[in-house]
Amino acid sequence: MLQTSDLASVKPQTDTRRDRYLGAFRWMLLARVFEEKLASLYRGGKVIGGVFLSKGQEALSAALAVSLRKGDIYAPLIRDAAGRFAFGETLLDAARTIVGSRLGPMRGREGNIHRGKPREGYYAMISHLGVMVSTVAGGLVARRFKGVKDVVGATCIGDGGTSTGSFHEGLNMAAVEKLPLVVVVANNQYAYSTPTSEQYACADLVDRAIGYGVRGHKIDGTDPQACFDVVGEAVARARAGEGPQMVVADLLRLVGHGEHDDAHYVNHALKVSPIGRDCLDVARTQIGAAGWMTPSQIDALREQLQAEVESTFATALREPLPDPNLEDWRALSTESLAEGNV
Amino acid sequence: MPRIPIIMPQLGESIAEATIVRLPFSVGAEVAADQEIIEVETNKATMGVTTPCRGTLLELKVEIGKTYAVGTVLGYVEVSEEEAKRLGVGEATVESGPLKMDAGPSPTSSVTPVVHGLPVPAHAAGIAYMSPRMKARMNELGLQQADLAGIAGSGAGGRVTIEDLEEFLYRLDEHKQSPASSMRVAVADAMRRSWTRPLATVGRPVRLDALLAHRKASAAKSGPALYALRALAIALGENSAPAGRLVGGKIVHPKAIDVGFAVEAEDGVLVPVLRNADTIPLAELLPRYDELVELARLRRLPVSAQGGSIATVTNFGTFGLTWATPIPLPEQTLVLGLGAGSVVPSWDKGKSQFVPVTEAHVTLSFDHRVLDGGAAGRLLRRIVELLQEPEKL
Amino acid sequence: MPITYLEAIREAQAKLLADDPRVFIYGQDVGNFGGAFKATKGLAKEFPGRVLDSPISEDAQVGLAIGAAIEGMRPIVEMQFADFSTCGLNQIINHAATMFWRTNVKCPITVRLPSGGTAGAGPFHSQSMEALYAHYPGLIVLNPATVEDAYSMLIAAVHIDDPVIFCEHKYLYYHLKAESLPTEALPIGKARVARPGRDATIVTYSAMLHEALACAEELAQDGWQIEVVDLRSVKPLDTDTILGSVARTGRLLVVGEAFPWGGVTAEVVARVATEGFGLLDAPPMRLNAKDTPVPYHPNLWGTHRPTARAICGAMRELLHA
Repeated sequence: MLQTSDLASVKPQTDTRRDRYLGAFRWMLLARVFEEKLASLYRGGKVIGGVFLSKGQEALSAALAVSLRKGDIYAPLIRDAAGRFAFGETLLDAARTIVGSRLGPMRGREGNIHRGKPREGYYAMISHLGVMVSTVAGGLVARRFKGVKDVVGATCIGDGGTSTGSFHEGLNMAAVEKLPLVVVVANNQYAYSTPTSEQYACADLVDRAIGYGVRGHKIDGTDPQACFDVVGEAVARARAGEGPQMVVADLLRLVGHGEHDDAHYVNHALKVSPIGRDCLDVARTQIGAAGWMTPSQIDALREQLQAEVESTFATALREPLPDPNLEDWRALSTESLAEGNV
Repeated sequence: MPRIPIIMPQLGESIAEATIVRLPFSVGAEVAADQEIIEVETNKATMGVTTPCRGTLLELKVEIGKTYAVGTVLGYVEVSEEEAKRLGVGEATVESGPLKMDAGPSPTSSVTPVVHGLPVPAHAAGIAYMSPRMKARMNELGLQQADLAGIAGSGAGGRVTIEDLEEFLYRLDEHKQSPASSMRVAVADAMRRSWTRPLATVGRPVRLDALLAHRKASAAKSGPALYALRALAIALGENSAPAGRLVGGKIVHPKAIDVGFAVEAEDGVLVPVLRNADTIPLAELLPRYDELVELARLRRLPVSAQGGSIATVTNFGTFGLTWATPIPLPEQTLVLGLGAGSVVPSWDKGKSQFVPVTEAHVTLSFDHRVLDGGAAGRLLRRIVELLQEPEKL
Repeated sequence: MPITYLEAIREAQAKLLADDPRVFIYGQDVGNFGGAFKATKGLAKEFPGRVLDSPISEDAQVGLAIGAAIEGMRPIVEMQFADFSTCGLNQIINHAATMFWRTNVKCPITVRLPSGGTAGAGPFHSQSMEALYAHYPGLIVLNPATVEDAYSMLIAAVHIDDPVIFCEHKYLYYHLKAESLPTEALPIGKARVARPGRDATIVTYSAMLHEALACAEELAQDGWQIEVVDLRSVKPLDTDTILGSVARTGRLLVVGEAFPWGGVTAEVVARVATEGFGLLDAPPMRLNAKDTPVPYHPNLWGTHRPTARAICGAMRELLHA
């Protein structure tokens, strides 16, 4: 059973290539199964607000989180279910936030992918894209002040998010400060309905790395092995003091922007081209080719994870909802300076 | 020759002063336009102060090493008339002046409320205006506007300010004060409320001889007030319109001819009621009347015997008054008043001489929104008619 | 040895850096240059590595501060001018201000805004932005008007566990001097009766305090005793002190240097009208800057925002209402 009670990423006891791969694959599969359940709950009216899925991006997301250690800083974005679980978020915390249980970490004040536990290095995003780059940089500056060595801060963003001024300012600043920051850009070809041709004019997003004075890495985001290798290298370089690393992965968003969106605008040619591959299918092939697991073993794992997801959601759905009368309705931590509500 | 002042300029945001570090020219030297003639240092940098005109350095008022505020006159340059005219500068025109917080030629920039399209300006002024503080204080003390009649307001447009009120109350404390009885407070409230209507009074004489003769011949003696009450009741029974009330655009008609009569009791006036007085003859009314008077005097009048009357009779003649303008009860339109009778000469046409008659005045005070003089006069005439045939009452 | 408002701010930062290793300063030109207004003069040298220069990136500056605060530091961000803080507005109001409420993790950052107008500064070097920030839940907004408050309130601000917007007034930087630094201060959140009075109350803050006091002095010649209240903190607003003053005088004028719509003056009047309606003997008045951007030329700037003369004009109306 893959539950962790504190945010420590799961490191297999033996660090073999097989164990590393299969460890990451578990998170990918868990994320996929989790989100299938999430989608069906959404269509069943059990989820309030938006639902944003990460189908197609599980490999990239898991690759980053499995490369991080306890004590690192991780700021995931919208399509990072795999990474969140890999970094140590529990299924229960995720389910609770999504169904709005009063017992969840966000206590009903935030929902869906806006969740996190900042004190444990798992930052909670705000909706404005690019903002987390400078925030993680700030966390790293603090660690530097405290003399903490060997720490890496990582954040994820999409092709659209790289257009923001926030992203630009944050990465530029992190480069000036030579911080151990890893920015993983999931170029899934669309920002909502906006294709990359309308998002940026440079030939490849990774070309920007040189402009920022950071090292760029390019991956085929549909290839789990490539993701684990390249992202792992980027994290290692950051940890070694080489300054910020920018990883750009090409893949395709295999779902709508949110579950409210049917993505009819996605170019069909992309769907049938290599960039449209499902990384989980690729993983099955790679696992099979290496002889690490049989298809029926993978299916059995899938069923096991499904059962966990089912029972976790069932628990969360039975829990009490937020109660406005139990809220203190205070935004300041300093009670004596809070004015009270007019 | 005109002389131009050289003024310490504003050398950067928030800079307040600068120190003189160098004076490259001495008094008497010729200087060119825009030439640096004084070097100053702020906490950010060293800069030059220039002269706007060509001319002669006339005066230097500063010393090296000393600090001067922005806007200080540092010296003077003497220029030719043409030069001064060319640049439009001169002693009279000191531009972008010293940096005082009150800089600028601002006229009184007063605050004018901007209210568009409202018929009443949003200012708080005038005798009718009572500020929230006034109202709060008056509520606290249980005061009505009528209590403040004695205050002349010192505020805008003559309004009474809180200071005026507090001064007034302070002065009151110089007098001996005692609590008003609850009866007095109740009457005061009733009269104040009644007075919010436009009231008028009409009156005429009435011969009392027939009434007095009837009374003398009766075993049980009714007072003149009861005779008047019965006459009023019969008259209203014939036409109750004068006793109607006006509420908004509607006339509210009386349900029954219940008539009250004023009885002085201790500190005020009580008004017991004779129900359906139009249907009960005088002799039958009398015992009830006497009973009510007694109860009223003893302050033992039951609630059921008060209230609900549509008109009131008051016999102020008992106080020796011949004429009066009583105020109707706030819930009534009419009050009939009876004055003291006296023997007066009256011209008898038949006998062609003055004969003695006993006469009094009857008055009708009424809410002029409901009736006019004519209707009031007609009602009084009918009452006077009825009083000439007391045996029919 | 007199000390200016600006020097008091520098002294406060020096003390903070010396007393608490969690404090650091981040802003443009704050390092060796000492800051555009010299508010950090000498501090980079005295505290190596604690006063850092940033690129021109207000968004990233605040973002960095937020991340550092999550990890337990107490950063001070110096904005070069309050007017540029809008480039970092998103991080302030949507990230820092919501951090505690969303995640239960405190965000003890202090953002210093050189605010307010000086002659010739123009629209983008003169703004007073306290109302903008006070509007958002989760922020504390302070406006010291005296040298003493500039010192003690900045120290207090950095000790508060919540994000603080510290509005310093540029005109007061070098124009206001005090004899010495204070050893004690009113608590954050309490207003101060700068001048007791009887006939009317002026509620104001920052540089306008001195204009109001000048006006009170002038009206004293005519026998009026004007009470002047210095808010000190815009949020939280000390409604009790304000109401207490209006209870004494019955007449209220609120003066602010900021734009008229929905500003601090409006908030004060709203509170007095709601909670102290029965205290007012005349309609409350507000005096603000004009409803235009701040003009550049001193002739225009001189009438754009309230001055002692304008305040006196308004007061005379109020006193005779």
